[in-house]
Amino acid sequence: MRSIGAQTVRHLVQCLAVLVFSGAQPVGASPPTLPPILPTASSDHHPGKVIWAELVTPDVGAAEKFYAGLFHWSFRDVPSLRGTYTIAYAGDRPVGSILYRALPASGNRQPHWLTFIATADVDATLNSAIAHGGKAVAEPATYPERGRQAVMTDPQGATFAILSSSSGDPPDVLAEPGEWIWSSLHTSDAAAGATFYQTVFGYDLFDTPAPDGRAHSILSSDEYARASVNGFPESPTPRHAHWLNYIRVTDADATAALAITLGGHVIVEPHADRHGGKIAVVSDPSGAPIGIMEWSATDTKQEPK
Amino acid sequence: MTRVRQGWMLAAGLTLVLGGLAGCVASVGGYDDAYVGGWYGGGIYEPSGYEYGGWGSGYHVGPPRGGERGGSRGGTSPRGASPTRSAPSIPTRHR
Repeated sequence: MRSIGAQTVRHLVQCLAVLVFSGAQPVGASPPTLPPILPTASSDHHPGKVIWAELVTPDVGAAEKFYAGLFHWSFRDVPSLRGTYTIAYAGDRPVGSILYRALPASGNRQPHWLTFIATADVDATLNSAIAHGGKAVAEPATYPERGRQAVMTDPQGATFAILSSSSGDPPDVLAEPGEWIWSSLHTSDAAAGATFYQTVFGYDLFDTPAPDGRAHSILSSDEYARASVNGFPESPTPRHAHWLNYIRVTDADATAALAITLGGHVIVEPHADRHGGKIAVVSDPSGAPIGIMEWSATDTKQEPK
Repeated sequence: MTRVRQGWMLAAGLTLVLGGLAGCVASVGGYDDAYVGGWYGGGIYEPSGYEYGGWGSGYHVGPPRGGERGGSRGGTSPRGASPTRSAPSIPTRHR
């Protein structure tokens, strides 16, 4: 009986050790403090605006090297989460975060940038999303200094986050090179997707189909375009609905070439967009896609070639 | 060690383990741990298999310049829905 008791206790201790080192957080534990998304608090709030992005990756160091080389970003670790959570800066402005997470052993997963859309009330937005076919992936949680956030999927399966920022939202100004300038949703049912986001976030919605008839809608708020909603091209290959965000660059061709030099790949070659500007999609060494976009005030609308 | 004391230890250990497991489930909302970070809900990997290359020359997803014709389906703007209202552009004011 004595030996059975000792074995049982040893087994229980091992179980607890697994729980502790798996990173799981027991109920009641305080959430970590995450830095605010603005260096100086603002009273600006722009519901519907994409205000943050977060890369989850198995190699934070490789990601830092790639994005520092590509966009001249710098990085600062969050002290209490050293090595597992770092903030990316364009100049002195925070632009996003990089989170360490081991790749799931189950496979069929890839790193990506999670899109954060501003909302005034995370819980109400999540409830509305669920009522219209969305699903909660991570329930609302408040992170000191950052704000309250939740993660969900839309009815077509695209993942995104909503954030009520404690420091306010970034101002509606033209993005500088190295900052996020645009976002696009790629989905199996663009009409239904656009209606979902319009309903949940109150966007104004503009249908501007492509010359080939492919669905292309614009979501706007505060009289500014916030994102496009795009139907997949016809293809026998199954596709996964997703959001993609674009960094403003001064030379899309040179940036795409640099991405390759830094260990990334070019997924969509740089080309003139039909509204003007030049767009491309590259991926970092871990496979996370990211858009790049040239945009100048003197660009004129161009028809697709 | 008496049988009673061993019993108390076992009960305490089981309580700790079950409580810990219940806490873990609650903290990730019961979702697949392949999707959700342990301490943080943002830790989400996407299913693989994006097919950007398939778009070819049809990948035109950028913002409008303003003035492009496109029927508005309305929203919260007081200007409301209008078949002739043009889509706005991105912010162009400099910092």
